Amino acid sequence: MVTASLALFFALQTGVGSPPDLNGFWSNQYTPNLAQALGHEPPYTPYGLERWKNVDTKDDPTGKCLPVGPSRAFTAPFPFQAVQSPKMMAFLFEYQTIYRMVYLDGRPHPADIMDYPEFMGHSIGHWEDDTLVIDTIGIHERSWLDTAGHEHSGQLHLIERIQKIDDNHLKYTVTYDDPVFFTEPWSITRTFTRGKSTDRVMTYSCEENNKDVEHLQSNKKSQ
Amino acid sequence: MRRHLLAATGLCFTVLIAAAPAIAHHSFAAEYDRTKPIKFSGKVTKVEWMNPHIYFYVDVKDEATGKITNWACEGAAPNGLYRNGWRKESLKAGDTVSVDGWRAKDGSNLMNAGSVILPDGRKVFAGSADDGGPAAR
Repeated sequence: MVTASLALFFALQTGVGSPPDLNGFWSNQYTPNLAQALGHEPPYTPYGLERWKNVDTKDDPTGKCLPVGPSRAFTAPFPFQAVQSPKMMAFLFEYQTIYRMVYLDGRPHPADIMDYPEFMGHSIGHWEDDTLVIDTIGIHERSWLDTAGHEHSGQLHLIERIQKIDDNHLKYTVTYDDPVFFTEPWSITRTFTRGKSTDRVMTYSCEENNKDVEHLQSNKKSQ
Repeated sequence: MRRHLLAATGLCFTVLIAAAPAIAHHSFAAEYDRTKPIKFSGKVTKVEWMNPHIYFYVDVKDEATGKITNWACEGAAPNGLYRNGWRKESLKAGDTVSVDGWRAKDGSNLMNAGSVILPDGRKVFAGSADDGGPAAR
């Protein structure tokens, strides 16, 4: 009895059994082209390969100030703030001033999420020991996976694992599962680095002075 | 001396490209042409410290004809520049600068600035990154 009480006391004191604290300002590892991070092109289906060969970079959704999507938010050269509570993890992204909410309260995805996709998708998560596992579906197919123009279908299923390596580094592994674009799931791993104590996420307004849109050129020779 | 200056400039250029805040707002290749580098010197006429990219404008004189052309130079996002220590006043109207970068594909007087150097050799904000997308292949 005494031993059990002592064990509980020390567990509470040391946080054993509690998820790690991910709160704070974190910098992404810029990954403009997922294929470069993977070391080769993803395992395309014939349809996925055709889409990659024909993607038109002038149609970049973020060039038109559309939301960045869940994949690109974590690979863009902009930081984010993690705000953690027992029932929710929120990621506040500087890029496009947008957020992701990851529900940790055990709820399922909405039954109709595939009929009402969102640019950032719908995310639920849970802890596996020291790792936050995020499951995201219902991602609007207009979003891109990266700046290079890797696209996806509405069937995209993202599985992300975030593990706190030390106080200043998070290991981020994302798996892309999309049977329309890829023959099998594939993953990349990146590192998020904690910012300085004075760093802050700042407002990013794509519309403030977006002069790019009038200069974006099609890469299609036939046009 | 000139050789040293060129070498130093090349080094600065390389360092800036490697360490520069990157473009994410759009594919580099959708707007700029890596095969069309451009370099010029001139006087800054205006600086726009705004999202999603900073712009500064440079009057460039054609020494042969005397004609002055105003070039728009695109840089990185102001938030990242701020975190890296740059401020609006780091480059201001009236400064003379040497700019290295790449021309816009549409042939307008727009370029992406890879490096910006003041006459005293100080490098000021700029940045871009290639992304390997289809248009770059």
